Amino acid sequence: MAIKLVVKSRTGRDVLPDGILLPSNATVDELKARFAELKPRYYASRQRFTLPPRDGQRSGDLLVSGKKLSDYGLEDGSMLFFKDLGAQITYSTVFFWEYFGPLVVYPLFYFLPHLLYPGIKGHTSAERGTVQTLALGYWTFHYVKRLLETFYVHKFSHATMPVFNLFKNCAYYWGFAAFVAYFVNHPLFTSPPLAQAYWALAFSMACQFANFRCHIILANLRPAGTKGYVIPRGFLFDWITCPNYTAEILGWVGFTVATQTVAAAIFTLVGAAQMAQWALGKHARLRKTFDGLEGREKYPRRWIMLPPFF
Amino acid sequence: MAGTGAISRAYLLLYNVTMFAGWAYALYELAKHASATNTVEGSYAAAGDTIRLFQLVSGLEILHAALGLVGGSWGAALMQWAGRSNVLFGVVAAEPEVQGSLAVGIMCWAWALSEVIRYPWYAASLAGICPRWLTWLRYTAFIPLYPLGVVGEMWAVVLALPHIKQRGLRTISMPNAGNFAFDYSLFLMVLLCLYPFLWFRLYSFLFRQRRKKLQPTAAAARKKRQ
Repeated sequence: MAIKLVVKSRTGRDVLPDGILLPSNATVDELKARFAELKPRYYASRQRFTLPPRDGQRSGDLLVSGKKLSDYGLEDGSMLFFKDLGAQITYSTVFFWEYFGPLVVYPLFYFLPHLLYPGIKGHTSAERGTVQTLALGYWTFHYVKRLLETFYVHKFSHATMPVFNLFKNCAYYWGFAAFVAYFVNHPLFTSPPLAQAYWALAFSMACQFANFRCHIILANLRPAGTKGYVIPRGFLFDWITCPNYTAEILGWVGFTVATQTVAAAIFTLVGAAQMAQWALGKHARLRKTFDGLEGREKYPRRWIMLPPFF
Repeated sequence: MAGTGAISRAYLLLYNVTMFAGWAYALYELAKHASATNTVEGSYAAAGDTIRLFQLVSGLEILHAALGLVGGSWGAALMQWAGRSNVLFGVVAAEPEVQGSLAVGIMCWAWALSEVIRYPWYAASLAGICPRWLTWLRYTAFIPLYPLGVVGEMWAVVLALPHIKQRGLRTISMPNAGNFAFDYSLFLMVLLCLYPFLWFRLYSFLFRQRRKKLQPTAAAARKKRQ
């Protein structure tokens, strides 16, 4: 049995004058595939369908991949709102470019001081201090780790993001890479005591391993093919909602102490602020999903990201 | 306004009324000076203390946005407050050589005139007693006052730049223990290049707001019924 759906934009404009014809047991994915056939410009990941808002709602329920049209009560003559999300790009593509940049940009400052610090008399690249060399090693290790995780560890729940994010994210990562690299590799760099650098970077490496372990746990949270939230457990997850961010931030704190550079401190703070915002959102989502009612688990009391305060 | 209880509204009302009083006093000081000397040069000497105090206090508006007491993003509020504070505290307060200039005089007057309209409008809207002429004034006065203010600010910074460079104001060079360097005059030059773009966004936003707010009420009611 077939049903015909009316598709409009939020401004009331008819998106498909003849509507869209689908089997009554069709899934959301089949709707998107059919829509893409009718309007080839809007491939599936660009399409966003919502139900008309009910009383009190600002916008209607979102049609989610994996569900059926009947799950939303859609029948013959029902109306859907369509929104074009704009050109999309996969998460892994964005991650690749945003992490590849720092891997290239930072060493430029280490290896080409005559080019990037024109006229500044100080030590040459042959005379690079131990701390600066260690910092280069740590930085390189960190971003290689991120790239490997992107392709071999992380499981992304949203397939794509708007293309604009590629430029925004790359500007952030590449910009800060240059900012930090400029000062750490400066010919007039003043090295902190070597012992301080060794201990701080050792601590940072420990944080990197902790962060990696957290990523593995997160990747294995959901059995293949299932969707929906799962309460993370084990390792630091028993006490903190987002311990991967905790480890990441502490790793950069170690780097800052090792290099004793204001630029690194600023980079750490800005990253921490962004991660705090993400952690708050994740914590709120988990608490809302696992509210302890109707037989659902209750999300345990945990720190959000930075014990003992947050 | 969304999300405000009675206490929040009372606080905001108090805040807006206080800010109005402050800027009204600054305007009085400016007017007194202008009528005595027949010029706006030297305005900073006349009203500078008041202006500095109330510009500082207006930082609270960032908090209001962050806490959801008022609409708008705290990032936008921060940018506007930081921009003005940078010019006022960072540059003008630190450079006596520019304080007596026409640029600074224009800046003070533009700021004061804008604020003595903006704060009463907020207060009246909160109390629900905002007359149409006040809304009109709020969304019309900015048209000449904003460009005037920005020109005054930018010109004042340009006048101060050679002095800042010479004195090395707020400038730190390598080597130092924090491995950091900052050149305030270079920073200001970059800011001056960005100013027109940042300011234009705000200006066009206010024009869009103007169209929305000054719509004839019959048309607005018709739109609501649709």
